[in-house]
Amino acid sequence: MTYSSKKRMTAMAAAALFCIGTLCAQQPAGTLKVEHQIGFELAKANEKGTLAIQNGSLQYTHNKESMNIPASSIEDVFTGADSQRTIGGTLGTLTMLAPYGGGRVVSMFRNKVDVIILYYRDANGGFHGSIFLLPQGTSNQFKKDLLAAGAHASIPPDADDAKPSTDKKDKK
Amino acid sequence: MKTTKKLTSTILLLFVMAMVMSCVASAQSAKPEKIKTSAIEVMKVDPSDIKISPAFLAALYENLVTELAKSGKVGRVIREGDKDAPGIKDLVKLQCVVTAFKEGSERQRQVTTVAGASKLSVIARFTDNSGKVLLEQDVTGNVHFFGGNLKVTYDLAKHVAKLVKENF
Repeated sequence: MTYSSKKRMTAMAAAALFCIGTLCAQQPAGTLKVEHQIGFELAKANEKGTLAIQNGSLQYTHNKESMNIPASSIEDVFTGADSQRTIGGTLGTLTMLAPYGGGRVVSMFRNKVDVIILYYRDANGGFHGSIFLLPQGTSNQFKKDLLAAGAHASIPPDADDAKPSTDKKDKK
Repeated sequence: MKTTKKLTSTILLLFVMAMVMSCVASAQSAKPEKIKTSAIEVMKVDPSDIKISPAFLAALYENLVTELAKSGKVGRVIREGDKDAPGIKDLVKLQCVVTAFKEGSERQRQVTTVAGASKLSVIARFTDNSGKVLLEQDVTGNVHFFGGNLKVTYDLAKHVAKLVKENF
């Protein structure tokens, strides 16, 4: 092995270690990557961020900006399962124009996600209803963690199934 | 004889037309007075006995707050339970009661383009501080083509905001 290749290997190893360190620093235990749908204070619709429970508060972080609400201010927590289009947004809408029904085929591909719905009061006592999309299979544990941190729920975890947009038969 | 019949029918026709015109005119002149308020408090959506996911109730609530604020007809839109609400004398409360809900399916809409529509109907009730009903109307939101099922709440909120624009 030449000196230059050794140097290159060392640099690559250092870069890999730095990346791993950075990732670990950004993702503390109990942090979930989420997509905010609606209702959480100043967060925008369809914004991606992380949710974490820290010191009895629910913390939403987006672009290094964090918003906290005390877990005790959460009046109700609902969880459920949902699905979203694999190709969403404007591109997803444009695929509808694909010839020979191609757009319809594309719309059949959907990712399964979990949903968490929070009813809470802001600092001024105002009611909020917020919805987050979570990775599949994580919502129930997150609800348990929230309840342990002081949140309230009318339905206990494991007995909850609040689906915002299922593809089951329509209900009336 | 024939002339008399014709004359009678013409007079009758004219009379009916005059009646219709006067009715239209009176309806136009008797427009309800605009409701004056400095703030609307949006109350939690009442699902009544309709089976509806809490996600729809939450989304409808948030969309109502956003769309009413956007309408620009009311100085302030207040959330239920806000500490400032009791101090506002001319406060109007908006209570939406769900009357019908069809969840629909985004997948069905995209695949078939005719099936899977989402529909949500509510009674939008505006009351004053004493509980007197100032305005009450059925409002319906739909999603027929594009968007997820939750978009029905956005459509409904826009209709409620339109109602506010017309009556406030």
